[in-house]
Amino acid sequence: MSTELVVGAWIATGLSLFIYSFLYKDNPFFKLGEHIFVGVSVGYLLTITHYEVMSKKLYVPLVQQGQWRLAVPALLGLLMLARFIPAIAWLSRLSFAFILGISSGVAIPRQLSSFILQQIQGTVEPLVTTGDGGVSWFTFAGLNTLLVLVGVVSVLVYFFFSIEHTRVVHRVARVGIYFLMVSFGAAFGYTVMARMSLLIGRFDELVLYASADYGYATLVLLAGVIAGLVWWERGRSQESRQ
Amino acid sequence: MNDFARRMLNLDRRVIFLLIAVVTLLPLLYPVGLPIRVSPEVRKVYDHLESLPPGAVFLLSLDFEPAGKPELYPMSIALLRHAFRKNLTVLGLTLWPAGTGLAEAVFSQVAQESGKEKGKDYVFLGYAPGDANAIISMGQDFHAAFPADYYGTKTADLAVLKDVRTLRDVHYVVSLSVGFPGLDTWYVYGKEKYGFELGGGCTAVSAPLFYPLLNTGQINGLLGGLRGAAEYEILLHSEGKATAGMDAQSATHFLIIVLIVACNCFYFLTGQTGRQRR
Repeated sequence: MSTELVVGAWIATGLSLFIYSFLYKDNPFFKLGEHIFVGVSVGYLLTITHYEVMSKKLYVPLVQQGQWRLAVPALLGLLMLARFIPAIAWLSRLSFAFILGISSGVAIPRQLSSFILQQIQGTVEPLVTTGDGGVSWFTFAGLNTLLVLVGVVSVLVYFFFSIEHTRVVHRVARVGIYFLMVSFGAAFGYTVMARMSLLIGRFDELVLYASADYGYATLVLLAGVIAGLVWWERGRSQESRQ
Repeated sequence: MNDFARRMLNLDRRVIFLLIAVVTLLPLLYPVGLPIRVSPEVRKVYDHLESLPPGAVFLLSLDFEPAGKPELYPMSIALLRHAFRKNLTVLGLTLWPAGTGLAEAVFSQVAQESGKEKGKDYVFLGYAPGDANAIISMGQDFHAAFPADYYGTKTADLAVLKDVRTLRDVHYVVSLSVGFPGLDTWYVYGKEKYGFELGGGCTAVSAPLFYPLLNTGQINGLLGGLRGAAEYEILLHSEGKATAGMDAQSATHFLIIVLIVACNCFYFLTGQTGRQRR
């Protein structure tokens, strides 16, 4: 086992336990872990952006390979920073106008096609189909189509606020609420599954790092964090008595 | 009984944390091996990859960062193993800057264990900045979008990219996505315009968002969360971290169901209505 792997395991284990210590209550270990996480994340992102974007995609092609056309996006990027100087802050609007114009032009037709037109097409599938085997009147696929259609229409009615929800509209909107409740339940179930997966992933590594190969990192650091929390609690209780 | 129910409803939440921790840990230490049924959406991704001939171009976009690792890392390992086993030409990249190191580690590890050569059998292109613009740029000219790979080798000199000029030359794209940019970005700006087949993998929390795309055939298959990864490992007969985590997943889900039912029972036993509690 290489030294850097063992050191990495100890750091990862320590920080995981620091963050999990919040489940007991807010404490200095959690604060330390949180601040290190924020600092490292920002530092890592800046470094990656510097090497992968500023250096590889801009500096090398522009300065070393003479691709002068890249000076235009570089200049637009620099103009964004003009916002920090009030006298020339208006220059940043040029960049924002460029970004908004391009983004809208590219995104609107594609988004409409992908998420509106094709989804409507998927909502109004035929209930009765004909094929080599003759006419197929009612299948499970047809039942699904019917459910999707009823769900979409009733939820749309529920969110239609221009008319008062009375009589038929009220009843249809009520059906829409049931569909929404089912979808919220499914979304919550998936959320629980996702959060448990994160916990399992972390525990999986903590179990691995508890082995002799990693110097019993999890067990030693867990004992350390518990001892630290006890010491911190005693200090706090002494302070409150004084 | 009433007092007991009231006490249970005011139970210290740290007891529940402890219960969850124990229930998660025990199956990891002592696996039971509960059966795993493969869902049609996962099988479709597997079948499509299986149907590709050797040498077909497969693009795996690892659009996640370390926060999505527990769910998406096992998927990327399984998909790459499958692609290398099928002798496909594999292209790798990420649309997330913080995921670059993780993605590179996945490619290096699986390529090494599969005996694949960098630049000849596969290429890792690194981080593609610009979200949707990166995909559009690849669709117009792949080599202009990536003049060099992650390690600095010119893409024009790489044998693996000899026949890949644009995204139209790619046969299958799979995006393992933790958010935006990800699977939907690949669909909207990639598949719609350049016509390749698209499959995906995502964290469980975002899976419900992609089922409408699956139902309309806009994506051909979906691996949802750790469960999706485990199903793919089962299909591949290569059980890994996802399969190992399924016992713990089932145990924690069971505990949460029990807690929800118990809390509802205790609530009704106290004889309070929602209005009284407020």
